[in-house]
Amino acid sequence: MPSVSTGHALDLEKFLKSLKGQPLEASVNSLISLLKRRQIKGSEPCAIATAHILLQVVARSKWHDVDSLLINVSRTGRKLVDAQPNELVIGNIVRRVLGLIRDEASEDRGDTADESASEAPTPTDIVPPTSISQQWTTKRFESANTAAPPVRPPIVSSYSSINPPKSLFHLLSTSPPANGDVSPFKTSGASTPTWRGNSGQIHALRSEVIDGIEEIKDEISQVDDQIAASAEVQIHPGDLVLVHQPSTTVERFILRAAQKRKFTVLIAMAPPRRHSAENQHATFRKKLSAAGITVVNVMNGGLMAYMSRVNKVIIGARAIVATGGVVADAGSAAIARAAKEQGTAVVVLSGVYKLSPESPFDESSLIEWGDSSTFVSFADGPMVCGAEIRTALTELIPPELVDTYITNLGTHSRDHLSSLISDHYKREDADFHIWEEALS
Amino acid sequence: MSHKGKNSASSAKGKKPAKSGAESKGEDVLQAVCLLPLANTPLIEYTLEFLAMNGVQEVYIYCGAHTDQVEDYIGRSRWTSSSKSCPFSVLQFVRVADARSVGDVLRDMDKRSLVDGDFLLVHGDLVSNLILDGALAAHRKRRETSAANIMTMILHSGGPADHRTKTNGITPVFVVDTKTQRCLHYDEMNPLQSDHYLSMDPAIADELSTEFEVRADLIDAQIDICTPEVLALWSESFDYELPRRNFLHGVLKDWELNGKMIYAEIFEDGYAARASNLQMYDSISRDVLGRWTFPFIPENNIMPKQAYKKHSNNVVIETGASHAADAKLQNSVIGTDSSIGSGSKIVNSIIGAGCKIGANVTLENSFIWNGTTVGDGTVISQSILAGNVVVGKGCTIPTGSLISFGVHISDSISFSTAAVLSTVTSIGKQVTKDTNLLGPDSNAAPFFDPEDDELDDEDPSRLQKSLIYSLADYNLSTSSISTFASDVDSDDDNDSNFLSTDVAHSNRSRLSSFASDDSAGKMSFHADAVHGLLDALRAESGDFDSAKLEFMGLRLANNASDAMMRKAVATAFTRRAVELVTPEHGGLDASKAADKAFTACKGASKFVNEVGVGGGESAQIEFILALQRALQHYSKGQEQSKTATLLPAMLQQLYALDILEEEGILGWWADPRAVEGESMAGLKEKCRVLVEWLENAEEEDDDDDDDDDDSD
Repeated sequence: MPSVSTGHALDLEKFLKSLKGQPLEASVNSLISLLKRRQIKGSEPCAIATAHILLQVVARSKWHDVDSLLINVSRTGRKLVDAQPNELVIGNIVRRVLGLIRDEASEDRGDTADESASEAPTPTDIVPPTSISQQWTTKRFESANTAAPPVRPPIVSSYSSINPPKSLFHLLSTSPPANGDVSPFKTSGASTPTWRGNSGQIHALRSEVIDGIEEIKDEISQVDDQIAASAEVQIHPGDLVLVHQPSTTVERFILRAAQKRKFTVLIAMAPPRRHSAENQHATFRKKLSAAGITVVNVMNGGLMAYMSRVNKVIIGARAIVATGGVVADAGSAAIARAAKEQGTAVVVLSGVYKLSPESPFDESSLIEWGDSSTFVSFADGPMVCGAEIRTALTELIPPELVDTYITNLGTHSRDHLSSLISDHYKREDADFHIWEEALS
Repeated sequence: MSHKGKNSASSAKGKKPAKSGAESKGEDVLQAVCLLPLANTPLIEYTLEFLAMNGVQEVYIYCGAHTDQVEDYIGRSRWTSSSKSCPFSVLQFVRVADARSVGDVLRDMDKRSLVDGDFLLVHGDLVSNLILDGALAAHRKRRETSAANIMTMILHSGGPADHRTKTNGITPVFVVDTKTQRCLHYDEMNPLQSDHYLSMDPAIADELSTEFEVRADLIDAQIDICTPEVLALWSESFDYELPRRNFLHGVLKDWELNGKMIYAEIFEDGYAARASNLQMYDSISRDVLGRWTFPFIPENNIMPKQAYKKHSNNVVIETGASHAADAKLQNSVIGTDSSIGSGSKIVNSIIGAGCKIGANVTLENSFIWNGTTVGDGTVISQSILAGNVVVGKGCTIPTGSLISFGVHISDSISFSTAAVLSTVTSIGKQVTKDTNLLGPDSNAAPFFDPEDDELDDEDPSRLQKSLIYSLADYNLSTSSISTFASDVDSDDDNDSNFLSTDVAHSNRSRLSSFASDDSAGKMSFHADAVHGLLDALRAESGDFDSAKLEFMGLRLANNASDAMMRKAVATAFTRRAVELVTPEHGGLDASKAADKAFTACKGASKFVNEVGVGGGESAQIEFILALQRALQHYSKGQEQSKTATLLPAMLQQLYALDILEEEGILGWWADPRAVEGESMAGLKEKCRVLVEWLENAEEEDDDDDDDDDDSD
């Protein structure tokens, strides 16, 4: 429900607005509370909120080398993951940001040898950040194209062994506080040239990482469009397409196809909630009818009878685990299994950011359980007192039931997922929450 | 039980300037047992989370008892204003030394002018997940329409059937207009009252509403969206104590006088309830286990540092807790560092942190707080074991037991009926160990609450004292409760005669207290008359004649009996006198206060003589009794010593003014009605000196100057 500006209850929009005015710690804590209270829920809002808060961490927390930045980010990330452990997207975004920092740092280090010489004389820290970031972005693209692949592996493996001597050296070089300057990173003129170079690097790294996070944010916002681009390929004229409680991603996908193709859409709905029964997907239905598409509403219970005639089942994912299992709205798994029995293709739509390197061995730990009052009214005394009511919000669709995964990067099979994962996440970040625990 | 007294009242408000500028909202929390753990989270956390969830900015907390503990707790928690993670811009404690009721707190709020805009009033024992945006918007809209729309109550529908989360014993009855949602009437019913009827103002059907519902099913968590006018109303009526029974009832009753309107937003979704007594604590805990309070459930780890995880069978276990592989767990919550022995069976229970549950223990529907040890083979059903209790091996603790902090129970002790055990008495002293009952290692004894005896037999709050709601001890059938709703439903449709039943005829002889007379329906005369007189008395100057005129007019309009007039006059003057001894009004001593009450206004004493007493010895006796009862109402609070001496002072004053005579006072002294009820006797005892003096005076000189009236 989009909240009007007059409302007082908190939501994502209010949280994002509050980010600027608050100290970092307050923002982090307020996000944690919002996640715990489920006032920010669903994979996309969670991803957006995580990206925003990590951007704040990079921009505003105190860090003086790459290590401490990594620790800051993963510490905040761990808190967020703990606040809503069922929302895998949060962990994904944290891993993406950690990977981004490692990438930037490794390029940075690869470049220092030649860069420091050229940059040292120029007063880099006086240059406005924008120009620096431009400078660095261009460099980053160069390196991404050419230099990066050979450089990365050795740096990553020996990363932790290179860094401590470096910081130890820095520590020694500042140890005689000649001018009483306790925090040498803030100033430039009083420090030695080495320092200036480094603080410039820090500065640059900061804006570099911030740019990277902005790119992630852009990616999240463009996901729906990019996925919709492959709609025409997937949906053929005359198809009978089944969608289950369509998310915005699925809606846009179908609507895009509707521009070019004529087909029939079956909307599988959850049993009507007590008050909003009439409004379920009403706008979506209207839009489809406007596009000349036949829409049929089917209750979940009667679905199986239609399954033999359905050509495609389209499911919006909340998250995809490493094995290919899909976390989706409750009810999807039954549909997917029915589709499998009938040989109907099951297509899962998901942004790459929802693809998680985690593969929990305990499937039940992924499932989000909701409010008991979803289907039973609290005013129903005998039910409240006499029955135990459990409402699952999500469930896991086993990987073997899914035929195709469509992400913003294109169409993939299950086997291809692992390479997507390795493209997007660094191995050392996969278990960042455990890693952090050991550190702290 | 000893811990149950941890009352805290807190008030909160939050301001959010909206587009129109001066709008704001906020809230207030009152009367809680708010540090007790509910599902291993202190109650106040639920309340503050609810406020934070609704985007409240400023919170003011009023505490009753144990203010220090609450302040200390908040000071160390993330809510403190100095903490960066506090979602509120202001969180402030307000201490009021002499507040004895919610009414006192609200009047204090008004005095301090803490709020200048709309605010939200809640209690510190509230558990709710409602999002109030809709209700707030509706409230604001009504505000814009008319300034007389002063308050919106948030209620939750409870359905027609039995429901554990409805309050037992006292049933709130709301009469609500179906179209405008305006609340037209409020009353409370209980199974102990003599008549099972609800008397409504005939005007409700005649002019106020064309279509209304009488709802006795609502769950009232006492969440109110208030405007500052509400506080002003509280200040005007200084004898209101409870927000519902006194304030809401009174304001709705006097709708013609004050012209204010109160609305009720009835929610169907969401959850809201107050853990105001043990039965509600039990119900709400079960609702938490049943996930009705989502997202405020243990699994979501609302408090920092909690680490609960959901496992199969709906068992939620915190990291660090351990249980034997063959222990049967179902639908329970287990806190960190707790251990459960092999073969134990835990069903529908909540176990705190650091508890040791032995082998082969059976726990059903029970709540065990932090640090408690339960020996092997013990069976506990539907009971509360507070913190650091030690229960020996092979004990049996039956349904409805309550075992307070630090109680030790030896091995193999069985109780046949529900036990309430404590290590301290009601006044905080160490008990003498009851080793016969509890075994040689015990340090506790059964707990008796002296207040139990003071409670009137008809007082419905008796029904809420124990953990288990039961009418078994009472001589009535529960069917009277359930038939109530249908009675009213059928009546309000077409039987307007029922509505217009003359209220004055319901002349019930209830001596218990004036407050409970509200329900009789003759309240409107009494309240109006007392108000009118009080205003005249407070003015302290000017003529009392106009007040007298008004009073007589009221009397005629309501066809009030002599007894009712006497009562009204006695109440008004007593209230004035009580007011005068309170510190806010100068804290006069009793005799001066009595003097001022009766003589400050010109004509007041004459009025008392003619209207209040107006007759011979029997009338005088009745008037003194009325005074005594009125005073009894005030003699329970902190100012007890002062108000208690008011009675002799007032009698003496009236004697000096020739309004009362020796015969009247002595006749009262001998009257058996003067000692009905404990505090009545106490008040009477204070007059012994006066009476003795009168008796002596009579002996010494019979031809005193008031001989002339002796002929009565």
